[in-house]
Amino acid sequence: MSKTTKYHLFTFKDISRPDWADDEEFDDPSALPPQTVTTNKDGTKTVVSYRFNDDGKRVKTIRRIRTTIVKEYVNPRVAERKGWAKFGLEKGHAAGPSFDTTSVGENIIFRPSVTWKKDGKEEKKVGDDPKEKLKNMKVKCRICDGEHFTARCPFKDTMAPMGEDGAAGAGGAGADGDEEGPPKEGGLGTGGGGYVPPHLRKGGAAGAGERMGGKYERDDLATLRVTNVSEFAEENDLREIFERFGRVTRVFLAKDRDTGRAKGFAFISFQERTDAAKACEKIDGYGYGHLILRVEFAKRAT
Amino acid sequence: MRPILLQGHERSLTQIKYTKDGDILFSCAKDQVICAWFSANGERLGTYHGHQGALWTIDIDPSTTLLASGAADNTVRLWDVRTGKCIKVWDFNTAVKRVEFNEDGTKLLAVTEKRMGYLGTIVVLDVNVDVEAEQSDERSLIITCDESKATVAGWSYLSRYIIAGHEDGTVSQYDAKSGELLINEPAHEDGMQVTDLQMSSDRTYFITASKDKTAKLISARDLTPLKTYPSDTPLNTAAITPKKPFVILGGGQAAMDVTTTSSRQGKFEARFYHKVFEDEIGRVKGHFGPLNTIAVDPLGRGYASGGEDGYVRVHAFDRGYFDFGYEVEREMGLVGKR
Repeated sequence: MSKTTKYHLFTFKDISRPDWADDEEFDDPSALPPQTVTTNKDGTKTVVSYRFNDDGKRVKTIRRIRTTIVKEYVNPRVAERKGWAKFGLEKGHAAGPSFDTTSVGENIIFRPSVTWKKDGKEEKKVGDDPKEKLKNMKVKCRICDGEHFTARCPFKDTMAPMGEDGAAGAGGAGADGDEEGPPKEGGLGTGGGGYVPPHLRKGGAAGAGERMGGKYERDDLATLRVTNVSEFAEENDLREIFERFGRVTRVFLAKDRDTGRAKGFAFISFQERTDAAKACEKIDGYGYGHLILRVEFAKRAT
Repeated sequence: MRPILLQGHERSLTQIKYTKDGDILFSCAKDQVICAWFSANGERLGTYHGHQGALWTIDIDPSTTLLASGAADNTVRLWDVRTGKCIKVWDFNTAVKRVEFNEDGTKLLAVTEKRMGYLGTIVVLDVNVDVEAEQSDERSLIITCDESKATVAGWSYLSRYIIAGHEDGTVSQYDAKSGELLINEPAHEDGMQVTDLQMSSDRTYFITASKDKTAKLISARDLTPLKTYPSDTPLNTAAITPKKPFVILGGGQAAMDVTTTSSRQGKFEARFYHKVFEDEIGRVKGHFGPLNTIAVDPLGRGYASGGEDGYVRVHAFDRGYFDFGYEVEREMGLVGKR
């Protein structure tokens, strides 16, 4: 058995220029104040030390140290080998990985799954979709509905695009694509015509314009806002709590950028709205880490 | 999982191996140097210098005292693992493509290349598992492969057989005492080289990888094919994971075609298959070139892959890996135990 001690070290600030107030306290400029160690309430230690930097200036360093003891049971053979001296190109190098040979790669999410092949294929299908659609699409003229491009239409100069008359308030006459009987009142020169913006054409007045990023709309409906979250909460904890009710697609926990602690609220997206409703009902008022969670459906950000 | 990247080599990796306890990882590449790394944190323990040609193969004896290596300088060398000193050099007529210790580390097999009028051979050397001891120069057995040269070889259970994979895609079983050819089985497509052969932990079966884009699980006793794992790229390596019933295959476009393909097309991924159900269950990306070699931690905690790109990537499996199982396995309570 061997004991390993891990230090989490935070260096807070380096003050390169000594404060004049500090100067007064110590008469001898060459003397350094002794290092002070104070134990904080949350179990961490604050170490304040002083030193001179290369320019001869006094530097005050405040370090906060949290000590965690991680006990690890190691095979004695392995433990012995850990103490071996380095050799070859590494000869004389200090213990620990050196940066020129060892680095840590980006995180890889590896989740084995039975349906791995199928999942991959579906993904591909979605990607191919636009092309497939184009293949089956037939060229259709917007003016006369014939099988040619609109720019090539023989009636280009004499007729307005089909359906436009509807938007102009004429009541959608003759939109049946009959080549023989072009709607006379839909001509370019008709009184009520003028410019009609694209989103109002073709009965677009109903307001059912296509939203951008329509995919996320559904997502929004199944998103819960969780407030009064403990500041020590982790995304994984939240995921664990909510995963019981159904498939969680996204967990967002707002964190303070400086301290890395949770800000007290989070968003949980479910795949199904019914699961979200269930979770909302069950978890609202649930005690988690000395606080009582409040859960409600997220309002859409505008 | 966050892989550890090891950049100790200047040329493509040829083989990587874990020690029996899984704590040290050895890698060899065409740049003539062997590196030893602690698998836990990627710290380099040291390097082994002395070979004059591209290194093709390495192996560590089960007690982690000796390291054997074979190279294109026609030698097999024996090293003291701890100090990096070379303690023995065996000279051959041609390059050595594969070395492997038997279960107790007293015998070492070496596969030599067919070249310059010499036929490919499998040679057995007696090893004294002691750094101080004198090593014998004598070859205790020489098997000559007249038909198709052996490319890979390994020891079966109880060192009873020597199993070899050949250039023509066949796998053969030799008696390890007499050297007699017992069985020669066409395991892979004709003419498609067997590129890797790794034994299971009990050495009763093994996995072969081949250029014919398949890997096969074969019984060591009678060479019956047990399982086939089809893929869509020529395979360079295959490994069996302990603890979990998976196999890992690695490959990719041949090195000479690589410059014309992007890393996405090149299929430079480690592929995980379920050992029993033969289904592909996932892939791990990362390398910029074909995977030349994969080794699995004998304790099942992770695996490492070495690529044509000169990198070794050491992966430690996370929970998703250990928790995964088929419905049947869950019902039988085989999943979740570590």
